[in-house]
Amino acid sequence: MTAAGPATGAGPAPVPRPSVPVSPTGPGAAAAGQARRVSWSLSAHARGLLTLALAGLVIAILTGRPEFAGVAAPAVLLLAGWRVRRPGSVTVAIRVSARQLVEGQQAAIIAEISGHGDLAVQASIRAAEAFSAGPPADHPAAADPAPGASLRVPFQAHRWGVRRVGRLEIVLRDRFRLSEGRLSVDLPRIDCHPLPAPLRGRIVLSRLPSRLGEHPSRALGEGIEFAGVRQFVPGDRQRRINWPATTRSGTLQLNTFTAERTQNVVILADATTNVGERGATSQDLAFRAAAGTINCYLAAGDRVGLVVYADRLSWIGPGLGRRHFHRLMDLLLASQRGEEHAAGLTRLPKAALPPGALIVVFSPLLQPRLVEALRDLRERGFSVLVVDVLTTGPPRSRDRVAGLTRRIWRLEQQAIRFSLTELGIPVVHWDGQQSLDEPLAPYTRRVMLTGRK
Amino acid sequence: MNGVLSRALARAPAAAALLAAVTITWAALPTAGAKPGIRVALVVAVACAVASLAHLAVGDADIGGDAFDPLLVRLVAQAVHIIRALPWSEAMIIAVLTLEALHHSRPWHTGVLGVALLAYLFAAHLAQTRTRLGALRPQLPVLAAGLGLLILAVGAAALPRLHAGTASELLRGLAVIAAVIAGALALPTTRRRKSAGGS
Repeated sequence: MTAAGPATGAGPAPVPRPSVPVSPTGPGAAAAGQARRVSWSLSAHARGLLTLALAGLVIAILTGRPEFAGVAAPAVLLLAGWRVRRPGSVTVAIRVSARQLVEGQQAAIIAEISGHGDLAVQASIRAAEAFSAGPPADHPAAADPAPGASLRVPFQAHRWGVRRVGRLEIVLRDRFRLSEGRLSVDLPRIDCHPLPAPLRGRIVLSRLPSRLGEHPSRALGEGIEFAGVRQFVPGDRQRRINWPATTRSGTLQLNTFTAERTQNVVILADATTNVGERGATSQDLAFRAAAGTINCYLAAGDRVGLVVYADRLSWIGPGLGRRHFHRLMDLLLASQRGEEHAAGLTRLPKAALPPGALIVVFSPLLQPRLVEALRDLRERGFSVLVVDVLTTGPPRSRDRVAGLTRRIWRLEQQAIRFSLTELGIPVVHWDGQQSLDEPLAPYTRRVMLTGRK
Repeated sequence: MNGVLSRALARAPAAAALLAAVTITWAALPTAGAKPGIRVALVVAVACAVASLAHLAVGDADIGGDAFDPLLVRLVAQAVHIIRALPWSEAMIIAVLTLEALHHSRPWHTGVLGVALLAYLFAAHLAQTRTRLGALRPQLPVLAAGLGLLILAVGAAALPRLHAGTASELLRGLAVIAAVIAGALALPTTRRRKSAGGS
């Protein structure tokens, strides 16, 4: 096997960070206020009142009917009360209530506005793609000039990635809402993590590394799970003597327990192809499943690593803890590249894969080089399980050639999956709707045997 | 995101639509006995009302309409552009007042129409700016004064005529206009005095 295509991460496990530009108004940071120019114009409400007043008065004069002047009266009075006090600029400071979000989670933009005097302030978000804005926030007009207004505008993130939320549009209005001052501010970028797919059960290998953990292994040790009874030998703990068995056999018998071990799990997320409906593409599903699996194994105290298989191979070696989880999520976000068809490698580097690790692959299996890499992993003795996240195919067509092509494509896909299964790499399908437990159930109920086939 | 608030904000466009329908119907009826041109004014009023309500419904949403979009999308985008560009709401007000003027004099009827038109303007403003009703509280005293003047004007118009003739009608009309302007001028003066006294 040869390494082909551009590869990064040779050597010690790199710690990539998403390419978030450093901004004074970064997420979560309390940004310093900045003076912004306000552009003023007559409001649509004022135009309506002006029309009503003028039309009423003109018709009253032309027809000699005083009731039309009465129709104009309220509008004339409102327009007459118009006091022009327009600040040329206001100071705006923007911050975000949450530094990192998960798909579907809500947060808020907090805008601190000062220098607007007694004007009413309304702030609304013009949301960018993958975000939706909540209702606008209002700060009412005050009788006296207010020192500042704090407006909280909610928004919701719909798709994972590092993106700008959009623009914050601020409108200043006078007491009678006759003139409008407008300004807009660019909102900062937000890290939105993929929504972890629900997963409770864990695949546990039959052979675990000798490191203290939570999984009962085949070896005897100091765990709490009962393994069997054996004869007492000098040096054994007396508290573990099994008295019923001792009474029956006439010799001292001792309870034995299984050793509790941790396991190394490496998640391999395929980001080379991105096909399917928007919001549920193969990459979306692969990343959500990867996030769910990482969450599940880290919660069990296992050491989890991540390999993102894209045009540039990047990985983080196995580790533990909440901080490690965020490092892995950052790596997922950093691989957000859109629809790319990368060359990739046919042999994954040794540094990314600790010996005896369980490798869980989330892929649509459309990249032949990745399939080759999986075969190589199996030949190297790793326990590999593939979760197929392909939910789409060539469109149905009445055209004979198109239909034939579709059938050939499906046969090819079946052949790939069959060949992997024959090599001892189980392939299960996940549609992104159900829990990950359902496709993984045959492998989470009992230990997964390790070793070459 | 906030269901209650969204429902409250969704009521304003519905209220604007209802008030537009009410004002047009109120001004148009009865069609019999009206001056010629009522049908044209009615058609214009309805068209403008539909366009202004479409403007409220569309809001500032991005419709698309790029050169690479399908023809249908580009046509819709063009229609939305026209709807946003022209002052349909103002045109509807003029058309409705014209409809009312094409009927014979009926002061109380015109007074009710004036109130409905004003309500329509406020409902449209609330819908357009997605603001709650409470934002109009500072305008209430002035609105109350305006409605008082409207009632005075309607009352003056409903009084029996002393002398038939164009001069007396014109004089009466001018008197009401003068009352309106006087009220408008007096109101800010009073407020200024109050604020000066307070400080």
